[in-house]
Amino acid sequence: MVATRPLAKPLREVGAFYALLLDCFVQFVRPPFPWREFILQSWFVARVSLIPALLLGGAFNAFVIFILDVLLFEIGAADASGAGAGLAVVAQIEPGITVLVIGGSAATAMCADIGARTIREEIDAMKVMGINPVHRLMVPRVAALTVNGFLLMSLGTVVALSSDYLFAVYVTNVNPGAYAASLTLLAGLPDVVIAIVKATLFGAAAGAIACYKGFTVGGGPQGVGNAVNETVVYTFMALFVINTLLSAVLAQAQFR
Amino acid sequence: MSAVPSPLRAPRLVRACQAAAAGWNRLGEQTAFYLRGIVSIKDALIYYRTEIIRVIAQMSMGVGALALIGGTVMIVTFIMTNIGFQVAIVGYSQLSNVGVEALAGFFSAYTGPRLAAPLVTSIGLAATIGAGATAQIGAMRINEEIDALEVMGVRAIAYLVSTRVLGGLVLAIPLCCVSLLTTFLSTQFLIANTYHQSGGVYNHYFTSFLRSTDVLWALIQGTLQALAIMLVHTYYGFNASGGPAGVGEATGRAVRASLVVSTIVTIAAGLALYGRGGDFHLSG
Repeated sequence: MVATRPLAKPLREVGAFYALLLDCFVQFVRPPFPWREFILQSWFVARVSLIPALLLGGAFNAFVIFILDVLLFEIGAADASGAGAGLAVVAQIEPGITVLVIGGSAATAMCADIGARTIREEIDAMKVMGINPVHRLMVPRVAALTVNGFLLMSLGTVVALSSDYLFAVYVTNVNPGAYAASLTLLAGLPDVVIAIVKATLFGAAAGAIACYKGFTVGGGPQGVGNAVNETVVYTFMALFVINTLLSAVLAQAQFR
Repeated sequence: MSAVPSPLRAPRLVRACQAAAAGWNRLGEQTAFYLRGIVSIKDALIYYRTEIIRVIAQMSMGVGALALIGGTVMIVTFIMTNIGFQVAIVGYSQLSNVGVEALAGFFSAYTGPRLAAPLVTSIGLAATIGAGATAQIGAMRINEEIDALEVMGVRAIAYLVSTRVLGGLVLAIPLCCVSLLTTFLSTQFLIANTYHQSGGVYNHYFTSFLRSTDVLWALIQGTLQALAIMLVHTYYGFNASGGPAGVGEATGRAVRASLVVSTIVTIAAGLALYGRGGDFHLSG
Protein backbone atom coordinates (compact mmCIF):
# COMPACT_ATOMS: atom_id res chain seq x y z
CA MET A 1 0.00 0.00 0.00
CA VAL A 2 2.72 2.43 1.02
CA ALA A 3 4.91 1.46 -1.90
CA THR A 4 2.21 2.22 -4.47
CA ARG A 5 1.43 5.66 -3.12
CA PRO A 6 4.09 7.68 -5.01
CA LEU A 7 2.96 6.01 -8.22
CA ALA A 8 -0.74 6.34 -7.55
CA LYS A 9 -0.67 10.06 -6.78
CA PRO A 10 0.18 11.40 -10.26
CA LEU A 11 -2.30 8.91 -11.74
CA ARG A 12 -5.00 10.13 -9.40
CA GLU A 13 -4.21 13.72 -10.38
CA VAL A 14 -4.61 12.86 -14.06
CA GLY A 15 -7.86 11.08 -13.33
CA ALA A 16 -9.22 14.00 -11.32
CA PHE A 17 -8.22 16.38 -14.12
CA TYR A 18 -10.12 14.35 -16.70
CA ALA A 19 -13.13 14.11 -14.40
CA LEU A 20 -13.17 17.90 -14.08
CA LEU A 21 -12.77 18.26 -17.84
CA LEU A 22 -15.73 15.97 -18.43
CA ASP A 23 -17.71 17.93 -15.87
CA CYS A 24 -16.84 21.11 -17.73
CA PHE A 25 -18.05 19.66 -21.04
CA VAL A 26 -21.34 18.58 -19.49
CA GLN A 27 -21.84 21.97 -17.86
CA PHE A 28 -20.89 23.77 -21.04
CA VAL A 29 -23.97 22.54 -22.89
CA ARG A 30 -26.32 23.10 -19.94
CA PRO A 31 -28.63 25.95 -20.96
CA PRO A 32 -27.97 29.17 -19.08
CA PHE A 33 -24.54 29.96 -20.45
CA PRO A 34 -22.91 32.51 -18.11
CA TRP A 35 -22.55 35.25 -20.73
CA ARG A 36 -21.74 38.05 -18.32
CA GLU A 37 -18.83 36.23 -16.70
CA PHE A 38 -17.66 35.08 -20.13
CA ILE A 39 -17.51 38.62 -21.48
CA LEU A 40 -15.79 39.94 -18.35
CA GLN A 41 -13.20 37.16 -18.48
CA SER A 42 -12.62 37.60 -22.21
CA TRP A 43 -12.01 41.29 -21.71
CA PHE A 44 -9.65 40.50 -18.83
CA VAL A 45 -7.66 37.96 -20.88
CA ALA A 46 -7.40 40.32 -23.82
CA ARG A 47 -6.27 43.15 -21.55
CA VAL A 48 -3.46 41.25 -19.83
CA SER A 49 -2.20 39.28 -22.82
CA LEU A 50 -2.38 41.64 -25.76
CA ILE A 51 0.74 43.74 -25.23
CA PRO A 52 3.01 40.89 -24.05
CA ALA A 53 1.82 38.74 -26.96
CA LEU A 54 2.71 41.41 -29.48
CA LEU A 55 6.04 42.23 -27.80
CA LEU A 56 7.07 38.61 -27.42
CA GLY A 57 5.86 37.67 -30.90
CA GLY A 58 7.70 40.53 -32.54
CA ALA A 59 10.96 39.95 -30.67
CA PHE A 60 10.97 36.15 -30.87
CA ASN A 61 10.27 36.12 -34.59
CA ALA A 62 12.86 38.76 -35.39
CA PHE A 63 15.55 36.52 -33.91
CA VAL A 64 14.28 33.45 -35.76
CA ILE A 65 14.27 35.33 -39.03
CA PHE A 66 17.78 36.61 -38.38
CA ILE A 67 19.14 33.09 -37.92
CA LEU A 68 17.19 31.75 -40.91
CA ASP A 69 18.31 34.59 -43.16
CA VAL A 70 21.95 33.99 -42.28
CA LEU A 71 21.53 30.43 -43.52
CA LEU A 72 19.56 31.42 -46.61
CA PHE A 73 22.11 34.08 -47.58
CA GLU A 74 24.87 31.52 -47.25
CA ILE A 75 23.22 29.10 -49.67
CA GLY A 76 22.25 31.96 -51.97
CA ALA A 77 18.53 31.70 -51.40
CA ALA A 78 17.87 35.06 -49.77
CA ASP A 79 14.82 35.44 -51.98
CA ALA A 80 13.19 32.61 -50.06
CA SER A 81 13.39 34.54 -46.80
CA GLY A 82 9.66 35.17 -46.92
CA ALA A 83 8.97 31.46 -47.34
CA GLY A 84 11.03 30.68 -44.26
CA ALA A 85 9.26 33.42 -42.33
CA GLY A 86 5.85 32.21 -43.41
CA LEU A 87 6.56 28.64 -42.44
CA ALA A 88 8.29 29.44 -39.17
CA VAL A 89 5.83 32.09 -38.02
CA VAL A 90 2.50 30.72 -39.11
CA ALA A 91 3.01 27.03 -38.58
CA GLN A 92 5.38 26.80 -35.66
CA ILE A 93 6.05 29.88 -33.60
CA GLU A 94 2.97 32.01 -33.38
CA PRO A 95 0.64 29.37 -31.88
CA GLY A 96 3.36 28.70 -29.34
CA ILE A 97 3.84 32.36 -28.49
CA THR A 98 0.10 32.78 -28.12
CA VAL A 99 -0.14 30.05 -25.55
CA LEU A 100 3.01 31.11 -23.74
CA VAL A 101 1.46 34.50 -23.18
CA ILE A 102 -2.02 33.19 -22.44
CA GLY A 103 -0.60 30.54 -20.11
CA GLY A 104 1.88 32.91 -18.55
CA SER A 105 -0.36 35.89 -17.93
CA ALA A 106 -4.05 35.01 -18.14
CA ALA A 107 -4.17 31.40 -16.97
CA THR A 108 -1.92 32.17 -14.00
CA ALA A 109 -4.17 35.04 -12.94
CA MET A 110 -7.23 32.78 -13.25
CA CYS A 111 -5.53 30.06 -11.22
CA ALA A 112 -4.61 32.61 -8.55
CA ASP A 113 -8.16 33.96 -8.49
CA ILE A 114 -9.86 30.55 -8.21
CA GLY A 115 -7.17 29.30 -5.84
CA ALA A 116 -7.74 32.24 -3.51
CA ARG A 117 -11.48 31.55 -3.58
CA THR A 118 -10.83 27.89 -2.80
CA ILE A 119 -8.72 28.57 0.27
CA ARG A 120 -11.16 31.23 1.46
CA GLU A 121 -13.81 28.46 1.13
CA GLU A 122 -15.88 30.56 -1.26
CA ILE A 123 -16.12 27.60 -3.62
CA ASP A 124 -17.55 25.46 -0.83
CA ALA A 125 -19.99 28.26 -0.02
CA MET A 126 -21.13 28.29 -3.65
CA LYS A 127 -21.72 24.56 -3.54
CA VAL A 128 -23.74 24.90 -0.35
CA MET A 129 -25.90 27.55 -2.00
CA GLY A 130 -26.61 25.13 -4.82
CA ILE A 131 -24.49 26.95 -7.42
CA ASN A 132 -22.24 24.71 -9.44
CA PRO A 133 -18.77 26.32 -9.42
CA VAL A 134 -17.80 24.45 -12.58
CA HIS A 135 -20.76 25.94 -14.42
CA ARG A 136 -20.44 29.40 -12.94
CA LEU A 137 -16.65 29.82 -12.86
CA MET A 138 -14.87 27.24 -15.00
CA VAL A 139 -17.03 27.19 -18.14
CA PRO A 140 -16.80 30.94 -18.86
CA ARG A 141 -13.07 30.99 -18.11
CA VAL A 142 -12.23 28.09 -20.38
CA ALA A 143 -14.45 29.56 -23.08
CA ALA A 144 -12.80 32.98 -22.70
CA LEU A 145 -9.30 31.52 -23.00
CA THR A 146 -10.31 29.46 -26.03
CA VAL A 147 -11.79 32.43 -27.84
CA ASN A 148 -8.82 34.61 -26.96
CA GLY A 149 -6.37 31.93 -28.12
CA PHE A 150 -8.06 32.06 -31.48
CA LEU A 151 -8.13 35.87 -31.66
CA LEU A 152 -4.62 36.48 -30.32
CA MET A 153 -3.20 33.93 -32.72
CA SER A 154 -4.63 35.81 -35.70
CA LEU A 155 -3.45 39.18 -34.46
CA GLY A 156 -0.05 37.84 -33.43
CA THR A 157 0.57 36.30 -36.83
CA VAL A 158 0.00 39.63 -38.55
CA VAL A 159 2.30 41.45 -36.12
CA ALA A 160 4.96 38.73 -36.36
CA LEU A 161 4.96 38.73 -40.15
CA SER A 162 5.28 42.54 -40.15
CA SER A 163 8.15 42.44 -37.66
CA ASP A 164 9.80 39.74 -39.77
CA TYR A 165 9.37 41.91 -42.82
CA LEU A 166 10.98 44.92 -41.12
CA PHE A 167 13.84 42.80 -39.80
CA ALA A 168 14.44 40.97 -43.08
CA VAL A 169 14.29 44.08 -45.24
CA TYR A 170 16.05 46.65 -43.06
CA VAL A 171 18.54 44.54 -41.09
CA THR A 172 19.46 41.60 -43.29
CA ASN A 173 18.76 43.43 -46.59
CA VAL A 174 16.37 41.00 -48.23
CA ASN A 175 14.55 42.31 -51.28
CA PRO A 176 11.08 43.39 -50.04
CA GLY A 177 9.34 42.21 -53.18
CA ALA A 178 10.95 38.80 -52.96
CA TYR A 179 9.96 38.55 -49.31
CA ALA A 180 6.33 39.28 -50.03
CA ALA A 181 6.23 37.06 -53.10
CA SER A 182 7.73 34.00 -51.41
CA LEU A 183 5.62 34.33 -48.25
CA THR A 184 3.06 31.79 -49.38
CA LEU A 185 5.56 29.37 -50.95
CA LEU A 186 5.75 26.89 -48.07
CA ALA A 187 2.92 27.91 -45.77
CA GLY A 188 -0.50 27.53 -47.32
CA LEU A 189 -4.08 27.39 -46.16
CA PRO A 190 -3.70 24.00 -44.36
CA ASP A 191 -0.89 25.46 -42.25
CA VAL A 192 -3.00 28.45 -41.30
CA VAL A 193 -5.97 26.27 -40.39
CA ILE A 194 -3.81 23.89 -38.33
CA ALA A 195 -2.13 26.85 -36.62
CA ILE A 196 -5.48 28.34 -35.64
CA VAL A 197 -6.69 24.94 -34.43
CA LYS A 198 -3.50 24.63 -32.40
CA ALA A 199 -3.88 28.02 -30.76
CA THR A 200 -7.54 27.39 -29.96
CA LEU A 201 -6.76 23.99 -28.43
CA PHE A 202 -3.92 25.53 -26.42
CA GLY A 203 -6.29 28.13 -25.05
CA ALA A 204 -8.75 25.47 -23.95
CA ALA A 205 -6.00 23.35 -22.39
CA ALA A 206 -4.55 26.33 -20.53
CA GLY A 207 -7.98 27.23 -19.15
CA ALA A 208 -8.72 23.69 -18.02
CA ILE A 209 -5.32 23.31 -16.33
CA ALA A 210 -5.62 26.68 -14.60
CA CYS A 211 -9.10 25.91 -13.26
CA TYR A 212 -8.13 22.41 -12.13
CA LYS A 213 -5.10 23.73 -10.27
CA GLY A 214 -7.20 26.52 -8.79
CA PHE A 215 -9.92 24.18 -7.53
CA THR A 216 -7.47 21.73 -5.97
CA VAL A 217 -5.26 24.28 -4.24
CA GLY A 218 -4.42 23.87 -0.55
CA GLY A 219 -2.18 25.31 2.12
CA GLY A 220 -2.29 29.10 2.25
CA PRO A 221 -0.27 31.60 0.20
CA GLN A 222 2.53 29.13 -0.51
CA GLY A 223 -0.08 26.69 -1.84
CA VAL A 224 -1.52 29.28 -4.22
CA GLY A 225 1.98 30.19 -5.39
CA ASN A 226 2.80 26.55 -6.01
CA ALA A 227 -0.48 26.00 -7.84
CA VAL A 228 0.27 28.92 -10.15
CA ASN A 229 3.78 27.61 -10.72
CA GLU A 230 2.38 24.19 -11.62
CA THR A 231 -0.17 25.81 -13.93
CA VAL A 232 2.65 27.47 -15.86
CA VAL A 233 4.68 24.28 -16.07
CA TYR A 234 1.81 22.01 -17.09
CA THR A 235 0.46 24.52 -19.61
CA PHE A 236 3.85 24.83 -21.27
CA MET A 237 4.29 21.06 -21.29
CA ALA A 238 0.83 20.58 -22.81
CA LEU A 239 1.71 23.22 -25.38
CA PHE A 240 4.78 21.38 -26.59
CA VAL A 241 3.02 18.00 -26.73
CA ILE A 242 0.03 19.33 -28.68
CA ASN A 243 2.39 21.22 -30.97
CA THR A 244 4.46 18.13 -31.78
CA LEU A 245 1.40 15.96 -32.38
CA LEU A 246 -0.33 18.43 -34.68
CA SER A 247 2.90 19.16 -36.56
CA ALA A 248 3.33 15.44 -37.15
CA VAL A 249 -0.24 15.17 -38.40
CA LEU A 250 0.28 18.06 -40.79
CA ALA A 251 3.63 16.75 -42.03
CA GLN A 252 2.10 13.33 -42.67
CA ALA A 253 -0.82 14.90 -44.51
CA GLN A 254 1.56 16.83 -46.76
CA PHE A 255 3.70 13.78 -47.47
CA ARG A 256 0.87 12.06 -49.28
CA MET B 1 -21.77 79.48 -1.85
CA SER B 2 -20.37 77.72 -4.86
CA ALA B 3 -19.55 74.07 -4.99
CA VAL B 4 -16.17 72.98 -3.71
CA PRO B 5 -13.71 73.69 -6.53
CA SER B 6 -11.88 70.73 -7.94
CA PRO B 7 -8.40 70.62 -6.48
CA LEU B 8 -6.97 69.65 -9.86
CA ARG B 9 -6.95 72.03 -12.83
CA ALA B 10 -6.67 69.32 -15.47
CA PRO B 11 -7.44 66.06 -13.70
CA ARG B 12 -7.02 63.81 -16.69
CA LEU B 13 -3.69 65.30 -17.72
CA VAL B 14 -2.39 65.25 -14.15
CA ARG B 15 -3.44 61.64 -13.71
CA ALA B 16 -1.78 60.65 -16.97
CA CYS B 17 1.42 62.40 -15.93
CA GLN B 18 1.29 60.75 -12.51
CA ALA B 19 0.86 57.33 -14.12
CA ALA B 20 3.82 57.98 -16.41
CA ALA B 21 5.92 59.16 -13.46
CA ALA B 22 4.90 56.11 -11.43
CA GLY B 23 5.95 53.84 -14.27
CA TRP B 24 9.26 55.66 -14.52
CA ASN B 25 9.78 55.36 -10.77
CA ARG B 26 8.94 51.66 -10.86
CA LEU B 27 11.62 51.19 -13.51
CA GLY B 28 14.10 52.96 -11.25
CA GLU B 29 13.07 50.86 -8.25
CA GLN B 30 13.50 47.68 -10.26
CA THR B 31 16.93 48.73 -11.45
CA ALA B 32 17.97 49.58 -7.89
CA PHE B 33 16.64 46.22 -6.70
CA TYR B 34 18.52 44.33 -9.42
CA LEU B 35 21.76 46.15 -8.66
CA ARG B 36 21.36 45.43 -4.95
CA GLY B 37 20.63 41.81 -5.73
CA ILE B 38 23.77 41.49 -7.84
CA VAL B 39 26.01 43.38 -5.40
CA SER B 40 24.75 41.31 -2.47
CA ILE B 41 25.97 38.11 -4.15
CA LYS B 42 29.24 38.82 -2.34
CA ASP B 43 27.44 38.85 1.03
CA ALA B 44 25.57 35.68 0.15
CA LEU B 45 28.84 33.94 -0.72
CA ILE B 46 30.38 34.99 2.58
CA TYR B 47 27.48 34.54 5.01
CA TYR B 48 24.88 32.20 3.51
CA ARG B 49 26.83 29.40 1.88
CA THR B 50 24.61 26.62 3.23
CA GLU B 51 21.52 28.49 2.04
CA ILE B 52 23.02 28.70 -1.45
CA ILE B 53 23.54 24.93 -1.54
CA ARG B 54 20.00 24.35 -0.24
CA VAL B 55 18.49 26.72 -2.83
CA ILE B 56 20.40 25.07 -5.66
CA ALA B 57 19.17 21.63 -4.60
CA GLN B 58 15.63 22.90 -4.27
CA MET B 59 15.68 24.69 -7.61
CA SER B 60 16.95 21.68 -9.51
CA MET B 61 14.38 19.36 -7.93
CA GLY B 62 11.40 21.72 -7.78
CA VAL B 63 8.87 21.93 -4.95
CA GLY B 64 5.55 20.27 -4.25
CA ALA B 65 3.98 18.27 -7.04
CA LEU B 66 6.68 19.36 -9.47
CA ALA B 67 9.26 17.35 -7.51
CA LEU B 68 7.02 14.31 -8.03
CA ILE B 69 7.41 14.44 -11.79
CA GLY B 70 11.18 14.83 -11.59
CA GLY B 71 11.80 18.52 -10.99
CA THR B 72 13.27 21.20 -13.23
CA VAL B 73 15.66 18.87 -15.04
CA MET B 74 12.89 16.51 -16.10
CA ILE B 75 10.59 19.34 -17.18
CA VAL B 76 13.28 20.97 -19.32
CA THR B 77 14.15 17.55 -20.75
CA PHE B 78 10.52 16.91 -21.59
CA ILE B 79 10.03 20.27 -23.30
CA MET B 80 13.27 19.98 -25.25
CA THR B 81 12.43 16.42 -26.37
CA ASN B 82 9.32 17.80 -27.98
CA ILE B 83 11.29 20.63 -29.55
CA GLY B 84 13.74 18.08 -30.94
CA PHE B 85 10.86 16.09 -32.42
CA GLN B 86 9.50 19.26 -33.91
CA VAL B 87 12.86 20.13 -35.48
CA ALA B 88 12.93 16.63 -36.96
CA ILE B 89 9.36 16.77 -38.27
CA VAL B 90 9.56 20.26 -39.75
CA GLY B 91 13.15 19.96 -40.94
CA TYR B 92 12.79 16.56 -42.54
CA SER B 93 9.47 17.22 -44.24
CA GLN B 94 10.57 20.61 -45.60
CA LEU B 95 14.00 19.39 -46.71
CA SER B 96 12.48 16.39 -48.44
CA ASN B 97 10.20 18.76 -50.35
CA VAL B 98 13.31 20.03 -52.15
CA GLY B 99 14.94 16.60 -52.21
CA VAL B 100 17.77 17.20 -49.75
CA GLU B 101 16.49 15.26 -46.74
CA ALA B 102 20.06 14.03 -46.24
CA LEU B 103 20.78 17.47 -44.77
CA ALA B 104 18.50 16.81 -41.78
CA GLY B 105 21.62 16.40 -39.62
CA PHE B 106 22.80 19.82 -40.74
CA PHE B 107 19.40 21.33 -39.95
CA SER B 108 19.55 19.91 -36.43
CA ALA B 109 23.14 21.07 -35.86
CA TYR B 110 22.28 24.57 -37.12
CA THR B 111 18.92 25.25 -35.48
CA GLY B 112 19.62 23.40 -32.23
CA PRO B 113 22.23 25.65 -30.63
CA ARG B 114 21.23 28.80 -32.50
CA LEU B 115 17.45 28.80 -32.20
CA ALA B 116 15.84 26.01 -30.26
CA ALA B 117 18.07 25.78 -27.23
CA PRO B 118 18.45 29.49 -26.37
CA LEU B 119 14.84 30.46 -27.04
CA VAL B 120 13.13 27.48 -25.47
CA THR B 121 15.46 26.99 -22.52
CA SER B 122 14.50 30.46 -21.32
CA ILE B 123 10.84 29.40 -21.36
CA GLY B 124 11.69 26.33 -19.32
CA LEU B 125 13.76 28.34 -16.86
CA ALA B 126 11.04 30.97 -16.41
CA ALA B 127 8.32 28.38 -15.87
CA THR B 128 10.23 26.22 -13.42
CA ILE B 129 12.90 27.90 -11.32
CA GLY B 130 11.63 31.43 -11.97
CA ALA B 131 7.98 30.93 -11.12
CA GLY B 132 8.96 28.71 -8.19
CA ALA B 133 11.14 31.47 -6.75
CA THR B 134 8.34 34.05 -7.08
CA ALA B 135 5.86 31.74 -5.40
CA GLN B 136 8.22 31.03 -2.52
CA ILE B 137 9.44 34.56 -1.88
CA GLY B 138 5.94 35.96 -2.43
CA ALA B 139 4.48 33.59 0.17
CA MET B 140 7.25 34.62 2.59
CA ARG B 141 6.36 38.28 1.99
CA ILE B 142 2.63 37.67 2.58
CA ASN B 143 3.35 35.69 5.76
CA GLU B 144 5.59 38.56 6.91
CA GLU B 145 8.53 36.18 7.06
CA ILE B 146 10.71 38.67 5.18
CA ASP B 147 10.02 41.33 7.79
CA ALA B 148 10.87 38.76 10.45
CA LEU B 149 14.16 38.02 8.71
CA GLU B 150 15.02 41.70 8.62
CA VAL B 151 14.17 42.10 12.30
CA MET B 152 16.47 39.19 13.11
CA GLY B 153 19.29 41.00 11.35
CA VAL B 154 19.44 38.71 8.33
CA ARG B 155 20.24 40.55 5.11
CA ALA B 156 16.97 39.75 3.33
CA ILE B 157 18.12 40.59 -0.19
CA ALA B 158 21.34 38.64 0.13
CA TYR B 159 19.58 35.73 1.85
CA LEU B 160 16.60 35.43 -0.50
CA VAL B 161 17.46 37.15 -3.76
CA SER B 162 21.20 36.82 -4.24
CA THR B 163 21.23 33.14 -3.28
CA ARG B 164 18.59 32.42 -5.92
CA VAL B 165 20.31 34.52 -8.57
CA LEU B 166 23.51 32.64 -7.85
CA GLY B 167 21.61 29.35 -7.92
CA GLY B 168 20.15 30.27 -11.31
CA LEU B 169 23.60 31.08 -12.64
CA VAL B 170 25.01 27.79 -11.36
CA LEU B 171 22.09 25.79 -12.75
CA ALA B 172 21.99 27.55 -16.12
CA ILE B 173 24.96 25.82 -17.74
CA PRO B 174 24.01 22.23 -16.80
CA LEU B 175 20.39 22.89 -17.78
CA CYS B 176 21.50 24.34 -21.14
CA CYS B 177 23.70 21.30 -21.71
CA VAL B 178 20.80 19.00 -20.87
CA SER B 179 18.48 20.87 -23.20
CA LEU B 180 20.98 20.90 -26.08
CA LEU B 181 21.72 17.19 -25.67
CA THR B 182 18.02 16.35 -25.46
CA THR B 183 17.23 18.30 -28.63
CA PHE B 184 20.02 16.62 -30.55
CA LEU B 185 19.21 13.13 -29.33
CA SER B 186 15.46 13.37 -29.86
CA THR B 187 15.89 14.78 -33.36
CA GLN B 188 18.30 11.99 -34.19
CA PHE B 189 15.98 9.40 -32.67
CA LEU B 190 12.99 10.52 -34.72
CA ILE B 191 14.91 10.86 -37.97
CA ALA B 192 16.59 7.50 -37.59
CA ASN B 193 13.57 5.56 -36.37
CA THR B 194 10.53 7.19 -37.95
CA TYR B 195 11.89 8.55 -41.20
CA HIS B 196 14.42 5.69 -41.50
CA GLN B 197 17.37 7.77 -42.56
CA SER B 198 20.64 5.92 -42.17
CA GLY B 199 22.47 6.90 -39.02
CA GLY B 200 25.73 7.45 -40.88
CA VAL B 201 24.27 10.10 -43.18
CA TYR B 202 22.71 11.94 -40.26
CA ASN B 203 25.87 11.78 -38.17
CA HIS B 204 28.10 12.89 -41.03
CA TYR B 205 26.18 16.09 -41.68
CA PHE B 206 25.51 16.63 -38.01
CA THR B 207 29.15 16.45 -36.93
CA SER B 208 30.48 18.42 -39.90
CA PHE B 209 28.13 21.33 -39.27
CA LEU B 210 27.97 21.40 -35.47
CA ARG B 211 30.20 24.31 -34.53
CA SER B 212 31.68 24.39 -31.07
CA THR B 213 31.40 28.19 -30.92
CA ASP B 214 27.63 27.96 -31.54
CA VAL B 215 27.32 25.67 -28.55
CA LEU B 216 29.45 28.00 -26.45
CA TRP B 217 27.31 31.01 -27.45
CA ALA B 218 24.18 29.03 -26.59
CA LEU B 219 25.58 28.44 -23.11
CA ILE B 220 26.42 32.13 -22.71
CA GLN B 221 22.92 33.10 -23.83
CA GLY B 222 21.49 30.61 -21.35
CA THR B 223 23.52 32.08 -18.50
CA LEU B 224 22.40 35.62 -19.32
CA GLN B 225 18.80 34.48 -19.52
CA ALA B 226 19.04 32.76 -16.16
CA LEU B 227 20.40 35.97 -14.63
CA ALA B 228 17.61 38.09 -16.13
CA ILE B 229 14.89 35.59 -15.25
CA MET B 230 15.96 35.14 -11.64
CA LEU B 231 16.25 38.90 -11.10
CA VAL B 232 12.79 39.60 -12.55
CA HIS B 233 11.14 36.75 -10.67
CA THR B 234 12.70 37.56 -7.32
CA TYR B 235 11.68 41.22 -7.73
CA TYR B 236 8.03 40.32 -8.26
CA GLY B 237 8.12 37.85 -5.37
CA PHE B 238 9.86 40.29 -3.05
CA ASN B 239 7.23 42.96 -3.75
CA ALA B 240 4.13 40.73 -3.69
CA SER B 241 1.11 42.09 -1.85
CA GLY B 242 -2.56 41.33 -1.39
CA GLY B 243 -2.96 38.00 0.33
CA PRO B 244 -2.84 34.52 -1.22
CA ALA B 245 -4.26 35.75 -4.53
CA GLY B 246 -1.50 38.37 -4.60
CA VAL B 247 1.15 35.64 -4.64
CA GLY B 248 -0.51 34.00 -7.61
CA GLU B 249 -0.88 37.29 -9.45
CA ALA B 250 2.74 38.19 -8.76
CA THR B 251 3.79 34.84 -10.20
CA GLY B 252 1.74 35.44 -13.32
CA ARG B 253 3.05 38.95 -13.81
CA ALA B 254 6.60 37.74 -13.25
CA VAL B 255 6.26 34.98 -15.85
CA ARG B 256 4.87 37.46 -18.34
CA ALA B 257 7.62 40.00 -17.71
CA SER B 258 10.44 37.49 -17.66
CA LEU B 259 9.35 35.85 -20.92
CA VAL B 260 9.57 39.19 -22.69
CA VAL B 261 12.79 40.24 -20.94
CA SER B 262 14.57 36.95 -21.51
CA THR B 263 13.62 36.89 -25.19
CA ILE B 264 14.98 40.40 -25.62
CA VAL B 265 18.16 39.41 -23.75
CA THR B 266 18.51 36.39 -26.04
CA ILE B 267 18.16 38.51 -29.13
CA ALA B 268 20.58 41.16 -27.93
CA ALA B 269 23.11 38.51 -26.94
CA GLY B 270 22.55 36.61 -30.18
CA LEU B 271 23.08 39.66 -32.35
CA ALA B 272 26.16 40.61 -30.33
CA LEU B 273 27.67 37.13 -30.43
CA TYR B 274 26.93 36.19 -34.02
CA GLY B 275 27.34 39.67 -35.44
CA ARG B 276 25.26 41.13 -38.22
CA GLY B 277 26.75 38.79 -40.78
CA GLY B 278 25.75 35.75 -38.76
CA ASP B 279 29.24 34.23 -38.50
CA PHE B 280 28.34 31.21 -40.58
CA HIS B 281 30.12 29.69 -43.54
CA LEU B 282 28.61 26.70 -45.23
CA SER B 283 31.81 25.75 -47.01
CA GLY B 284 33.74 25.61 -43.73
